[in-house]
Amino acid sequence: MTRVTIPIGPQHPLLKEPLSFMLTAEGERVVDSVLRLGYVHRGIERLAEERSWVQNVHLLERVCGICSHIHTTTYCQGVEALLELEVPPRAQMIRTLMCELERIHSHLLWLGVLAENVGFTTIFMYSWRDREMVLDIMEDLSGGRIAHAVNIIGGVRIDPDAEQLDSIRRGLDKLQQQVDTLLDVVQHERSLRVRTQHVGRTTKELVRRHCVVGPVARAVGIDEDIRRDAPYAAYDRLSFKVITESGGDVWATALVRVRETSESLSLCHQILDQLDPGDVATRAGRRVPAGEVVSRAEAPRGEVIYYIRSAGTDKPARLKIRTPTLPALSLLGEQLRDIKLADVPVVLSGVDLCIACADR
Amino acid sequence: MDTQAILDALNDACPDHTFDAQAIPIDETVIEVPVICLKRVVACLGSGFSISHLSTITGQDTGTELELLYHFWSKGGLTLRVVLPYDDARIDSLTAVIPGADFYERELAEMLGVRLEGHPRSGLTEAEGFEHFLLPEDWRPGRPPLRKKQPPKENES
Repeated sequence: MTRVTIPIGPQHPLLKEPLSFMLTAEGERVVDSVLRLGYVHRGIERLAEERSWVQNVHLLERVCGICSHIHTTTYCQGVEALLELEVPPRAQMIRTLMCELERIHSHLLWLGVLAENVGFTTIFMYSWRDREMVLDIMEDLSGGRIAHAVNIIGGVRIDPDAEQLDSIRRGLDKLQQQVDTLLDVVQHERSLRVRTQHVGRTTKELVRRHCVVGPVARAVGIDEDIRRDAPYAAYDRLSFKVITESGGDVWATALVRVRETSESLSLCHQILDQLDPGDVATRAGRRVPAGEVVSRAEAPRGEVIYYIRSAGTDKPARLKIRTPTLPALSLLGEQLRDIKLADVPVVLSGVDLCIACADR
Repeated sequence: MDTQAILDALNDACPDHTFDAQAIPIDETVIEVPVICLKRVVACLGSGFSISHLSTITGQDTGTELELLYHFWSKGGLTLRVVLPYDDARIDSLTAVIPGADFYERELAEMLGVRLEGHPRSGLTEAEGFEHFLLPEDWRPGRPPLRKKQPPKENES
């Protein structure tokens, strides 16, 4: 059968961000794919070497347009470790609260994208409507819907009062009902299952070989979560389940993400209950002692890792970022082999790509 | 993660080198590995210890040499540090053993000009050894952006 090469991207209605795929198809079957990144490469790692430790908090918030807070969290906890700073417990709790709100926002956004790609517009509308509730909560807390600028080196910038906390609780309760509905739809709605079950199926071995992390790894039964395995911020004081599935298809990743959203809501409630009064920041010096640090955190898409080296000046000597999308893209090459052309959008949304993150 | 057990196993695998562990924040174990031992060390870690994944490879120009840091995760952070001299920046590729290392290695080649020996996609273009991955197609060859010393700009149009 003749082979046809189909370019997808860098500008394509299917993609939310610029990325280039060259798909080779034989009839309706995809036989090969070649990936090219770099269309939103901003040279952030190099830029960070030119900016002060404090300026970098704002720079790194812009690595990703969805999980902006996790980047500053990973960076700040790394720099705080170099400074040997003790971050106040209240600040740790607020940091964690923002991390979990961000996870809810990211997962609901993802569910919408998946629903749109399988042609289930109703759920796309519902989940994006519900996502607005989280965005409102985050805006109320920090003043920003996406770029929250909550973290500073040594703590956080915001100190919510009792009234704000009450309004968050009300918002979370309403959201819980919606998430329960969405979980019910993902579990039982036939049209969604038909389009996602057995699609983009991957195995534990492949996931391991490609070093994939986060919900995609948990969807094949790899029980790993940095929040539990190496607790940072306030996670050692909170209890939660790490959600795993065994199917490894797009449906399994959807189940993992929606169940994780529920867990995140419970974590938010725990944080609000345990939030004791106190300071929200410790003063940090402008210069950071020479040394190096490896900082990890669990972003909505999986493990984020930062390597930071200081030469004892007011700027980092090296800052390396690895976001969870990069290994997921590596796996995608395997997932896009021997599938139907019509399943490509579903498989692409299954891994929850964030290209700006991968490009940096 | 049992650091001593790992060190013992590595000392057995590469008897001509004595391995030593160093701790850096946040709870990361760092082991220095000579360039020639890297493949053996990774094979040893992969077989005897439950290494879950390679998180990434950090490449950096310290001003005196190039340094590669292989960050692994196995219920705790484990980093292998490999030092390369400027005039012989070559290292064995791990992509055949760990396919997930592919993108990280291509980034090393592109950003630091490290040559990856035996990488399946190496040699696709003459200039950098790889086709471009993150940088634009018209990026001038021989100017890896993360090297501290850049060639003079006089030839630029």
